[in-house]
Amino acid sequence: MRDHKDLNSKIYTVSELNSNIRKSLESSYSDIWLEGEVSNFYFQDKKHMYFDLKDEKSKIRVVMFHHHNRNLLFEIEEGLHILVNGYISVYEKRGEYQLIALDARPVGKGSLILAFEHLKEKLEKKGYFESILKKRIPVIPGKIGIATSAGGAVISDIISVLKRRFKNFHLILRDVNVQGITSADEICNAIDDLIEYGVDVIILARGGGSLEDLWAFNTEMLADKIFNCPIPVISAVGHETDYTISDFVADKRAATPSVAGEIVILNKTEAVENLKEINKKIKNLLKSKISKYKREVGFLINRRIFIKPELMLGRFRQAAGEARIKLMENLREITAAKAGSVSEYYRRVDERNILRKIYAFKMEIKNKNIVMISNIKNYLLFKKNELKMILKNLQDNNPIAVMNRGFALIYKEKVDKNIKGIDEVEINQKVRIMLRDGVLKAKIFDRIYKKLELGFKNED
Amino acid sequence: MKIEKMSFEQSMEKLEEIVKELENENISLEESMEKFEMGIKLSSNCLKKLNEAEGKIEKLTRTKDGKLIADELDLEKEK
Repeated sequence: MRDHKDLNSKIYTVSELNSNIRKSLESSYSDIWLEGEVSNFYFQDKKHMYFDLKDEKSKIRVVMFHHHNRNLLFEIEEGLHILVNGYISVYEKRGEYQLIALDARPVGKGSLILAFEHLKEKLEKKGYFESILKKRIPVIPGKIGIATSAGGAVISDIISVLKRRFKNFHLILRDVNVQGITSADEICNAIDDLIEYGVDVIILARGGGSLEDLWAFNTEMLADKIFNCPIPVISAVGHETDYTISDFVADKRAATPSVAGEIVILNKTEAVENLKEINKKIKNLLKSKISKYKREVGFLINRRIFIKPELMLGRFRQAAGEARIKLMENLREITAAKAGSVSEYYRRVDERNILRKIYAFKMEIKNKNIVMISNIKNYLLFKKNELKMILKNLQDNNPIAVMNRGFALIYKEKVDKNIKGIDEVEINQKVRIMLRDGVLKAKIFDRIYKKLELGFKNED
Repeated sequence: MKIEKMSFEQSMEKLEEIVKELENENISLEESMEKFEMGIKLSSNCLKKLNEAEGKIEKLTRTKDGKLIADELDLEKEK
């Protein structure tokens, strides 16, 4: 066995060696990206993540602490292919080296989109995108807060838009990294600082980039911060076609950072013009109202009474004069009539008395009417009966009716005069006997005197 | 609410209301005068609000002892 002194070399303690290796590894692998498949995944108390990353031949231990993994847009799980950013360190207690992960992404853009959709759906269910919860952006915010990179083109773009629209705007920039592992955390802190400082609206702005570049704006952490922000937030991330989670949660989405400059404050020139227009309008409205009333007043004023009131007075004067004369005349008449009995005069004039008289007359007329009508009625009835009698008589004495009953009329042969007595005809004289239905020609052959009696039947 | 206390939006809203009221034929002359006066006051309040802001560009930073400080922003320096 060789003496260790013979080797003439440094003897390390275990701690020393592990510490040295740690330092060496940490400086050599301070910022690396590693791609592999997740295995032996362990999520300690839902805080720190422990897993292995492996390929076909090898594997490495990975740790991702809570403050790094809470920003993850996706869930790390067994078998998932991921890209991890971090540094190599040594767990000295056990002499094991491992990768300390600061950020992780699913490999392939498809996975990112999937993760984005997953979070979007989750937040939508939580009501983060509800339009009724969106706060109104003030028209003229006294202080505009903005969280973006002070060195980028975005801030100067926004400033130039603001200058064009509203000269005396007040902008407060809170400088943040809008890209990289820390960006989500930084933007959240910036929001807190701007709230604390006191601004009226907050713009979150960033230029265009890949889905990975815009990562911070797709984190649940920032979504929570925006949702709970008491001040209205405008999300102005990327190009018009880029949509981030913050766009959906924010009170207003600006398609581009420049658009945010337009949304956040009104155009002062336009506003002043608009105010001028309104002032002109209300002045004109009042003017036309006044001239309308003037016209009405003018119409009244032009009436004669207002132009020559003395004319009206003259007319009254004349009427008064006439009335005076009449009054005097009446007075004289009354005085003259005083000789008669005043009470008699009043009695006669008494209205009730007249009414009574009218009433009496009315009654009299009414009674007379009744009598007259009944007289006429009686007369008519009498005449009617008389007419009846005449008609009956006429019927009874109608020769045709008599012949209908079996009587006959006898006429001489050539004279249209009927024979009433037997002496009116000679023996052997020809006569005509008229019956109901015709004429019989006959010759008288005898004459017997006999008084006509009822019941007379046959005579031979 | 006093006009001076009204925000730009509130003043604008009220002003538009007044224009509508003045357009109404049936409003009396006295009322018209009142509305007109109020309209003029409101529009000057709007103008005041438009000119009220200070016109500053600042940068907000937190010092080591945790204080928030806003300084004038010089974009050239930031680049």
